[in-house]
Amino acid sequence: MAMVMDLGFPSFDYSTTTTSSTTTMTASSTDEGSNWNAWSPVVDWEALFGDQEDFQNLIDSMMDENVVLHPIDQLHEEEEEEKEYNNLSREYHMAAAAAAEDSKGLRLIHLLTAAAEAVAGPNECRGLARVILVRLKELVSPTDGTNMERLAAYFTDALQALLDAAGGGKQPHGGVGVEHHRTDMLAAFQLLQDMSPYVKFGHFTANQAILEAVAHDRRVHIVDYDIMEGIQWAPLMQALVSRKDGPPAPHLRITAVSRSGTGRRSFGTIQETGRRLANFAASIGQPFSFHQCRLDADETFRPSSLKLVRGEALVVNCMLHLLHFSHRTPDSIASFLSGARTLNPRLITLVEEEMVPQRDGGFVDRFMDLLHHFSTIYDSLEAGFPMQWRARALVERVFLGPRIMGSLVRMYRAQETGEGGSWEKWLGAVGFRPVSISFANHCQAKLLLGLYNDGYRVGEWELTTNKLVLGWKLRRLLSASIWTSQDCDL
Amino acid sequence: MTIDGSETGPPPDHVVGWIEDSISYFPAIFDDPYEGGDFSGDSWWDQSQSLEQLINSSFSTPVAAAAASVAPNPADSVVSDRPLSLDLSKKRKLTPDGSSPKTARKSASRRGHEAGAEVAAGPRKSAVNKKGGKSGGNGGGSNGNSKEGRWAEQLLNPCAAAITGRNPSRVQHFLYVLHDLASLNGDANHRLAHHGLQAITHHLAGGAAAGSFSSSPGNTFASSNPRFFSNSLIKFNDINPWFRIPNNVANTSILQILGEQHQPTNLHILDIGVSHGLQWPTLLEELTRRAGGPPSLVRLTVVPPPPTDDESRNATPFSHAPHNYDFTSKLLTFAKDMNVNLQINKIDSSHLQNLNSQAINSTRDETLIVCAQFRLHNLSHSAPDDRTEFLRVLRRLQPKGVILSENNTDCSCNTCGDFTTAFSRRVDYLWRFLDSTSAAYKGRESDERRMIEAEAAKVLVNVGEMNERKEKWCERMKNAGFKGEVLGEETVDGARALLRKYDSNWEIRADEKDGCVGLWWKGQPVSFCSLWKMDVRVKECLT
Repeated sequence: MAMVMDLGFPSFDYSTTTTSSTTTMTASSTDEGSNWNAWSPVVDWEALFGDQEDFQNLIDSMMDENVVLHPIDQLHEEEEEEKEYNNLSREYHMAAAAAAEDSKGLRLIHLLTAAAEAVAGPNECRGLARVILVRLKELVSPTDGTNMERLAAYFTDALQALLDAAGGGKQPHGGVGVEHHRTDMLAAFQLLQDMSPYVKFGHFTANQAILEAVAHDRRVHIVDYDIMEGIQWAPLMQALVSRKDGPPAPHLRITAVSRSGTGRRSFGTIQETGRRLANFAASIGQPFSFHQCRLDADETFRPSSLKLVRGEALVVNCMLHLLHFSHRTPDSIASFLSGARTLNPRLITLVEEEMVPQRDGGFVDRFMDLLHHFSTIYDSLEAGFPMQWRARALVERVFLGPRIMGSLVRMYRAQETGEGGSWEKWLGAVGFRPVSISFANHCQAKLLLGLYNDGYRVGEWELTTNKLVLGWKLRRLLSASIWTSQDCDL
Repeated sequence: MTIDGSETGPPPDHVVGWIEDSISYFPAIFDDPYEGGDFSGDSWWDQSQSLEQLINSSFSTPVAAAAASVAPNPADSVVSDRPLSLDLSKKRKLTPDGSSPKTARKSASRRGHEAGAEVAAGPRKSAVNKKGGKSGGNGGGSNGNSKEGRWAEQLLNPCAAAITGRNPSRVQHFLYVLHDLASLNGDANHRLAHHGLQAITHHLAGGAAAGSFSSSPGNTFASSNPRFFSNSLIKFNDINPWFRIPNNVANTSILQILGEQHQPTNLHILDIGVSHGLQWPTLLEELTRRAGGPPSLVRLTVVPPPPTDDESRNATPFSHAPHNYDFTSKLLTFAKDMNVNLQINKIDSSHLQNLNSQAINSTRDETLIVCAQFRLHNLSHSAPDDRTEFLRVLRRLQPKGVILSENNTDCSCNTCGDFTTAFSRRVDYLWRFLDSTSAAYKGRESDERRMIEAEAAKVLVNVGEMNERKEKWCERMKNAGFKGEVLGEETVDGARALLRKYDSNWEIRADEKDGCVGLWWKGQPVSFCSLWKMDVRVKECLT
């Protein structure tokens, strides 16, 4: 244990966070009928607008052109005319000066949300959207500037695609706009792993749960919904062959669910993945076999197409929509998960992005949520690799840009289809039973985070014991939850 | 996986073999110093590292991590399956305060309502009534009145609605966006955004209390150099019929009335207008061409607007010339050249209501014609009803004719609607002006254009913008003891002929019902001209 402490783990005492004032403000400002406040980490709008009596004066001082566009200049003026400002206003000016850099970010957010509103809001106006997007393109570039500027560039592109499509052009693709070079993808993926615990958190948490669930089994069968390159399984094999107290390494069978003819953004075929896994297993002496289970053309999962062997501990592994994954339709996921339930698996591991709960609000509200979500990811990646902007730019170009495009297009379409929601809630609703995350698993996640920036957090976040959430500061990125369909608790 | 120090990492060979066929080259990015590490194919595939190895190796050196993975290190056992000594209370602390980013979900439905209202308050869609045949070389485009083509209003009107609805953050949002799109250059939308933003700022700052409103300081009529002012206005009249057509209709009507008199009389024109003298040379010229020549005396009595500060909110757009601007001597010289006996008087009356026959020194034997253009809408139309009162004053002058030209639009005063409604009407008016001006100047920038537009932009804050629709004006005139005259065919034809030199989006519509002539821009009414005579049946108005 001493070892753990020496590693200088981040403090998990949430009371010490420095951004608490922002949060409080956000929470209390809901009555104001606005969620713009959440966007302003520095400028305290609530203080500005809280007192209706000061409404006029405050807006007056706020709307001084110097304040909005040149906060620094305003500060100098303020030194001379200090007495003329009331306290609130002075606070604003101080904050505005501190936010000199943020002011552009704030502008961008306002422009983006206005563009979103013009594209798909209740009062849509394409002419306005076009003008705003032109302005945005003048202001931002995907490879240059602050996080917010680069992020805004991708959102601008995505909105432009929506606008073009709405204008009678081709439907935008929910997936990838540009096919990236294989080596770019490989490099970006590696960088992503190094920058952030994003990838490993899900794999490690799921694997630990699997190891615990099959501790005494001779044969283990994992059905993997989206195996990608199979990188999740090498560490699992290593752990299996090195079980000290338990039985010798069990036979591991992995069935990769594959889909026919979809253009997945993977840098290898499932066959290649299987070959690599087999080679790796052989190299460490892990008994192993690999299978595929093809989905129907409409991505429906037929449990009968799965080859099951009596006596195997069946595990269903479901990694959904991680940054480097391609999109799966809700129908396909639902089909797989409900099919999986009929197989009565010992364990289901689910890792999914933690988006803000779906609002009842319209496109604009959800657009803001999405912007918020991705800005969190951008911030966390920047903290991971503060100096390597080219590395970040690659990850952003390869994974985040297409992801933003896809998310926005789906969100746009979801206005009709109502797509969205948390699969974890869905699992609970259809009768899967939660399995508690072990303390060891929890500690492991904390250890993992210790390798990355202090801003990462892991917690149970809600009153559920079967779910671990990876967060960045006060925002959630990703969750891993474990379930069973069997009656006996594990 | 269990964190267990006894596990053995895979030989590097396997790691390499795992992906060696996947990588043909690494992109240029890796020429950059990558955390000081030597980034190569051997190192990236570190998926087989155990957590323990990750911990042992520095995160920042992937190569070292890969190397470390070879050596087992039993001493580093960190967490076992069953850790015993950790304090459980610590775990509880891990649960955060639940401050998930559920920001302002309540606002969603409210926003929906608001947006719905915005739609209702938005500018009316109107079919574009394009004149056939002639195609105008203007920048307006045929969809200039569609919602898509008028995007600035899609920001300004919702912003005004948010002000009315006291939703500061929404206001703030629109101000941010307007700030970024507003410009004194560019198309009419950018300009409208600029002027609108200034006006909203002005409004939020408490209106008049905060002092001046100016879109571009020192650049309105009153603050301009007189020569520049008159040159600009002449140029404007040459390319935009906004005032030129009403002036023309008025002049033709004056000639018409004069021609109706049974015997030659002196002509007395009461000029309550915004033409700043530019209207009269043409009339004088026309008078000389009359059969029988010009009247023996032509009197022009100019009623200047009530004095105000240059940039006051009480300044009706287009009415205040520069202080030292004086057209009288020039006009007198011109009249002399034309052999017209012209006499010009200026009334120093602060209020229009104070006018009477003595004040204008009118005599019974002259032909008195009142020419009221774009000024009367500044008179309060209710509580107190100065407007009706003034029309009665006009009636008492017993003029032979009254020519009334006004904006054909709804009132923007505080009592006729909330801020949202009033503001959207003002913006609607200014849009037509800026849009037509954009076509007039063919998109070119100039100081002249800037001044004219800045002057028009006063409409956004002027408290006296109490316009009424044509029908309402007609009703008022009738109530004051006037009866409408159908504007002569000659007048309408003359105006139409004159209009041909302007942008093809302009049109003249003669209303057969009330005899008025309307000036329309892109299928929407801008102004109307009407001619009135005393209704002799109305006795009570006679003094």
